[in-house]
Amino acid sequence: MKKIALILCTILILSIGLTACTGGGKTPADEAPQGQAPDTDKLKVVLLIPGNLGDKSFFDAANAGLELVKSKLGAETKVIEMGTDSTKWEPNFIDASEGDWDIIISGNETTEIMNTLAVEYPDKRYIDFDTSVEETAENVYSMFYSTNEVSYLAGALAGLVTKSDMELANKENVIGFLGGMDIPGINDFLIGYIEGAKSVNPDVKVIISYAGDFGDPAKGKELGLVQYNSGADISFNVAGGTGLGLIDAAKDKNRYAIGVDSDQAMLFKDTDAEKASRIVTSAVKRIDQAIYNAVKAHQEGTLEYGKHNQVGIAEDGVGLAKNEYYEKLPQDIKDQIKAIEEKIAKGEIKVGTAFGQSTEQINELRESVKP
Amino acid sequence: MRSLLDIILTPDFAFSAIRVTTPLLFAALGALISDRAGAANIGLEGIMLMAALAGVVFSAYTQSALIGLLGAILIGLLTASMLAYFTLKLKTDVILGGIALNFFANGGTIFVLYYLTGDKGTSASLASMVLPNIHIPVIRNIPILGEIVSGHNVLTYIAILSAIGVWYVLEKTALGLRIRSVGENENAAKSVGVNVMKIRYIALALSGVFAGMGGAFLSMGYVSWFSRGMSAGRGWIALAAEAMGRGTVLGTTLSSVLFGVADALSNTLQLLNIPAELIRILPYVATVVGLLAYAIRETNKRKAKG
Repeated sequence: MKKIALILCTILILSIGLTACTGGGKTPADEAPQGQAPDTDKLKVVLLIPGNLGDKSFFDAANAGLELVKSKLGAETKVIEMGTDSTKWEPNFIDASEGDWDIIISGNETTEIMNTLAVEYPDKRYIDFDTSVEETAENVYSMFYSTNEVSYLAGALAGLVTKSDMELANKENVIGFLGGMDIPGINDFLIGYIEGAKSVNPDVKVIISYAGDFGDPAKGKELGLVQYNSGADISFNVAGGTGLGLIDAAKDKNRYAIGVDSDQAMLFKDTDAEKASRIVTSAVKRIDQAIYNAVKAHQEGTLEYGKHNQVGIAEDGVGLAKNEYYEKLPQDIKDQIKAIEEKIAKGEIKVGTAFGQSTEQINELRESVKP
Repeated sequence: MRSLLDIILTPDFAFSAIRVTTPLLFAALGALISDRAGAANIGLEGIMLMAALAGVVFSAYTQSALIGLLGAILIGLLTASMLAYFTLKLKTDVILGGIALNFFANGGTIFVLYYLTGDKGTSASLASMVLPNIHIPVIRNIPILGEIVSGHNVLTYIAILSAIGVWYVLEKTALGLRIRSVGENENAAKSVGVNVMKIRYIALALSGVFAGMGGAFLSMGYVSWFSRGMSAGRGWIALAAEAMGRGTVLGTTLSSVLFGVADALSNTLQLLNIPAELIRILPYVATVVGLLAYAIRETNKRKAKG
């Protein structure tokens, strides 16, 4: 026994020594190319995700933005998935702030942590890629997407489709909305959706369901089936993973669906073309572009830290996915959507928002379109 | 404006309730059979999750829904056997083993998914198969009844047959008698020569098979892909259903149906703009009531022993 332990120890020590030697031997050759571009010149960007990648929308889009920063701006990047345990977020933030990163990107649920820590690390630069909070620290640049504007377009589209004579549209003037939770971030979509639908179809009725969960596609499908069985012929999913179930329901019931955050038709295009064809469009947040633009502006020295910037239709921060399935829509619907798009961009149409509205006000709107 | 009754008294609602009940019933049968053998399997949630992924993966690579289902069942069987090995052979606490299994499934499924598809969220990029819906001849043509009973996924019918099968095995066969006696009084069973360990192995393995079918229903029947954490608490609700059913097959089936109906109701009643939060607590209120029933039962048992 002792002998084996001795041998093992010897091997261990030897191997450490050898690695050290080989490591030392390699150093000059390894560092030569790096020597031309010292670390100080290269922009170092870290993305802290309050959750995990693979949501097919929000965080994946942020990661895509970081990929753009890496490939187009030549920055050194790293993404840290902090998981869903919110108690681990602050230590991760402190680690990143103590490190030699130039820009620390995060957003949504970490806004508060970011604004507190940014004050303690005034030399660091922070980008908050999604927050509705308008006050930010001096060294934080924060962004928000006018989801109400793109939802207005989605609503207008749904309102037009349901009264059109499209193949899968029915006679009833009813459209659907599936929200992940009854919270301002989701209701901002709802308000835009209802306003948009009413603008083109004043008598339209909207079936509104909330799943109470962003990760239960079976529940999403069940709620979707209820909506389609009750006369909705098109429904808008704003429920992350749960919402994918609604798209399944659309396929089963031969109805239409509208995707969210990323171009969801592209998700299924290769594996299930029939399902993809039911997703007439998606309300897309261009988080990837927004992150890329912000880092680019930082590099050019034009990024205004300490400011909250809202990007909407006019800034191309949000928009409907104009893919091959969208192109198949009747021309007059596409024309009308285009006209509305231009009006929003010019500021002729002001879309309401759920932020700052009371529950009673939102309820009133919900009641007004109740089937 | 539609009234409550108009919405509930439709074939669509009954159909939806049956569909929602299916995965719960499978998992509850799994809970039942292991519990009756005295080895509470709280790893059902994790087993369902792993089986759901296995169904998608096996069916995508073989392009056969049947092999996908068999793969899901196999993975369910293997994971439950693993739990059995750790708890029966290596004497780990069965509750701790179950918790570990759930955590393992949670992370492990994402790891496998990422390894195979490069995606951590859903398996949408895998062309997996779905199990067929069955239209029962003759019955399908009967108005209302046909609409409710016919046209379900094949696994829904298997679930109903499984419930009958479990009842038959437990009440009418030698194996069932042994399972019950091992659960009731281990030492008494041992004294008459019953191999306690073997019986518990069998019971846990069977519970894995049922949870496996429940998982397959989620990813190959309900929807056509796997997504992370898609069992979404169904394994836990099933434990409550089993407890509420007081460990009987009929009781467990009926309480599974109750949970299913409550869930379907919470989906359907949203049409009336009743605050969603209020409706959504229905299944959980039912769960709390169920757990209360369980607690009372346990207390009485202890009193009886004392």
